[in-house]
Amino acid sequence: MMLCGKYGAVFLISWQRELEYRFNFVLGRLRNIVTMLLLYFVWVSLTEKTGTFAGYSRAELITYVFGINILRSLILGTQSKQVVVDINEGMFSAYLVMPMSHVLRAFFSELAQRSISFLTAIAEVALFALLLGVTFFVQRDGLLALLFLVSLAMAVALFFALSYLISLLAFWSREALGPRFLFDWVLEFASGAYFPLDILPASVLALVKALPFAGIMYLPLQIYLGRVGPGGAVTGILLQLFWTGITSLIILVAWKRGLRRYTGEGM
Amino acid sequence: MRKYCRIWLQLTRLAIGTYFSNALDYTSYFIGKLVRFGFFLVLIGSLFRFTDSLAGYTKHEAVLFFLTFNFIDVCSQALFRGIYQFRRDIQLGNFDFVLSKPVDPLFYSLSRLTDITDLVFLLPIVALISWTMNAIPALHSLSSILLYAGMLFLGMIIVLGIHIISASVTIWQVESENFIWLYREAMTIGRFPPEIYAAPIQLIFTVVIPIITIVAFPVKAALQVINGKWLAFALIYAVLFLRLSLFLWGRALKKYSSASS
Repeated sequence: MMLCGKYGAVFLISWQRELEYRFNFVLGRLRNIVTMLLLYFVWVSLTEKTGTFAGYSRAELITYVFGINILRSLILGTQSKQVVVDINEGMFSAYLVMPMSHVLRAFFSELAQRSISFLTAIAEVALFALLLGVTFFVQRDGLLALLFLVSLAMAVALFFALSYLISLLAFWSREALGPRFLFDWVLEFASGAYFPLDILPASVLALVKALPFAGIMYLPLQIYLGRVGPGGAVTGILLQLFWTGITSLIILVAWKRGLRRYTGEGM
Repeated sequence: MRKYCRIWLQLTRLAIGTYFSNALDYTSYFIGKLVRFGFFLVLIGSLFRFTDSLAGYTKHEAVLFFLTFNFIDVCSQALFRGIYQFRRDIQLGNFDFVLSKPVDPLFYSLSRLTDITDLVFLLPIVALISWTMNAIPALHSLSSILLYAGMLFLGMIIVLGIHIISASVTIWQVESENFIWLYREAMTIGRFPPEIYAAPIQLIFTVVIPIITIVAFPVKAALQVINGKWLAFALIYAVLFLRLSLFLWGRALKKYSSASS
């Protein structure tokens, strides 16, 4: 109960903070709509002649584009970036004296941000689906739908772990935003946020799949689209679990060592 | 004019000093930009493994759209990066100090943070544009190159106007960080040929949010697939847009009230 109370309060406060500057929030959502529309028209254009492209039907590609918009809102949060600023500017000290885990606090804060984005992303997708008259692919296999949800939950955990770990670089360097930027862009592409990764040449695809990022958006959507069978889905989920576990262990080590270096300068 | 050139050079020297004192950050940003650029080139190359045209354009023509978008995007970030600090200046009241300086506050705010890494990044982009244009037979004429350069210049004028409007909006609505990022996101529309979009969308992004005017018109002018009316439109639009942005900036300055300083 105490756990829900503390972190529930963090969630609610973060939710309210997200909606404090509504004009800025709306502009932020418009950004996502622009990206979604761009990708939609690219794939529609490419499937105009034959109705398929690179082994995907138009419905699958459109489902991928709109699915990415929803998954992006649910998985890719930005609150963990604030950890870098907090450590560099000394604000992190305030969290150390709070009776709660900083990792969990950051997670629930990010969850609040993502919940709002998720709700608005659903509305955006529904609106544009109506306006554009799109046909989605609907997964009717119960097992694959379940595996999709499990993979999605793992993707949320995996992204948070990776993002939080990168932010802990701030313990060692005041210049952690640059590496963060590099991480964000590698993740954007290697996670399949712009296109299905299997359109890449085989050698590039093998390299990308060796990284943990493909498990963040590409894998859940491949499971949903049925392009991966139950066996492949379970393997993918186990890989997500593996990467989340490894990253979590590194976070534990980095946290302990980082705290020894932390001086709270800037307060 | 000479005064402002000297000021710009001095601000650029100071900015370069900042970059060298934060070498890890800026090296990472530079590599991140290269990664982003490289990934999109790989994407376009991958798309053309499965098709021989995109909205009627060949691979090299599609790449030229992408490279032109990059050229304008990188130029604007290199020259007008100061706009990203402007919100903070308004919030903290630092803009008061800018207003007290014997230099135009708009010029100072826009150009105080010239990004040398972006200027360096322009070199491979220009080289690739030259190589790509060489691979397109229709572009082997002086008129194509002059039209391309001329339309690029008009595009940069419109981009300047957008940055000025962003600064004005920041004075009115302090928490409007996403305005400039919305522009950056909208610019990505220019990565691909505009014919992939439905006609109403093309119209919106030509007239209302003039991304197609900024990015696609230079390429279409070079390929001579755009008629003179639209070129004249681009010229008049650029001039009027800049005048409007300066008008809005003037109004915003009158409304400015310091938060604290």
